[in-house]
Amino acid sequence: MNVFMLYLVLLKASITSFSGLAAIPIIREALVIQAHVLSDAQLNEAVVISRSTPGPVAIYLVSIGYFVAGVGGAIAGWLAMITPALLVIPLIHFAGKKAENPKVKEVIKSIMIASAAMLFLDAIPLAQNAIFDVLTACIAVGSFMLLILDLVEVHWLMLAGVALTLGQYYWPFSISLGLS
Amino acid sequence: MPPSLRNITHVFTKLGNLTFGGGNATIAVLHQEIIVRLGWITEDEFALSFAISRLTPGSNFFAFCVAVGWLLKRTAGAILALIASSIPCSLVVMWVTMAFSLVQSNPVVQAALHGAIAAAVSITFKTAWILVRSHLMFSRHSRYKTIFIFALSLFLHGLMKFSPIEVIGICAILGLFYMESAT
Repeated sequence: MNVFMLYLVLLKASITSFSGLAAIPIIREALVIQAHVLSDAQLNEAVVISRSTPGPVAIYLVSIGYFVAGVGGAIAGWLAMITPALLVIPLIHFAGKKAENPKVKEVIKSIMIASAAMLFLDAIPLAQNAIFDVLTACIAVGSFMLLILDLVEVHWLMLAGVALTLGQYYWPFSISLGLS
Repeated sequence: MPPSLRNITHVFTKLGNLTFGGGNATIAVLHQEIIVRLGWITEDEFALSFAISRLTPGSNFFAFCVAVGWLLKRTAGAILALIASSIPCSLVVMWVTMAFSLVQSNPVVQAALHGAIAAAVSITFKTAWILVRSHLMFSRHSRYKTIFIFALSLFLHGLMKFSPIEVIGICAILGLFYMESAT
């Protein structure tokens, strides 16, 4: 896939979503399922990288761009990430007072709910890729519970996950309940 | 007194690229800096920028930075705020991804990755939950509508294999219709 096509794919995903990870269903369909230029594992890794570094979640588009087409792809991802933000200028200039319009709010709300449902569906194969033994299942479930309860920051969870799986790597007998 | 373009670049570079925790955490830090400490914009202007950024497709955080930059110095302020808040963190992510690609076959890195990825999956599920959670807590009508649109999206995307854009389009139209039928 050439860099311009990649930019268009990522822009389509970015411009039709209203929340960082909500673009994943469109990206997965275009790059993983149709074009086969990205794997589910790389999609997961891009999310990990974006959450391990400063900046907004949407920055995973840069990582995905790099996985698909190197530095040119990363630039395509950056451009796709920032292009929709420019739409805010005419919005804030001409339609600022319409932001509280009930019809506009309802449409946005419906889009967010639909995005959530598709994100949920697309998280299932990502989970299948990430969870392969008792320890990774415990990390995933435990992290979800802690995140839902807002008890721990994301980067601490990922650090704890790394520590646990590294512990299993160096001391395999201490956690030997693998399912596989 | 409005800030100079240099000051805008400095603040957005510093806060937009050094804050962990995603866009909302960074917006909270920006609020502290540009309203409380520097007094560049008012609370009302901040609220307007925040609301409009939620209506803008793509990253809400970058839309917010553009909106604040535009309020401060119109087009030049908007573009500088966008570039300053996005380029450094994008470079960091690209370098980390490069390093990742080089060492990901190493067994120790693989072992470390398994834990990080298992935790990251929970972030994806939590994001889906956050997107619907607030809509479940309003009126009964809002709750039914949320459940209906969520279930319909699962059906259309999961079973009928509609593309995400088709599902979003259908739900946007339904949302408008549903709203009008309720009024």
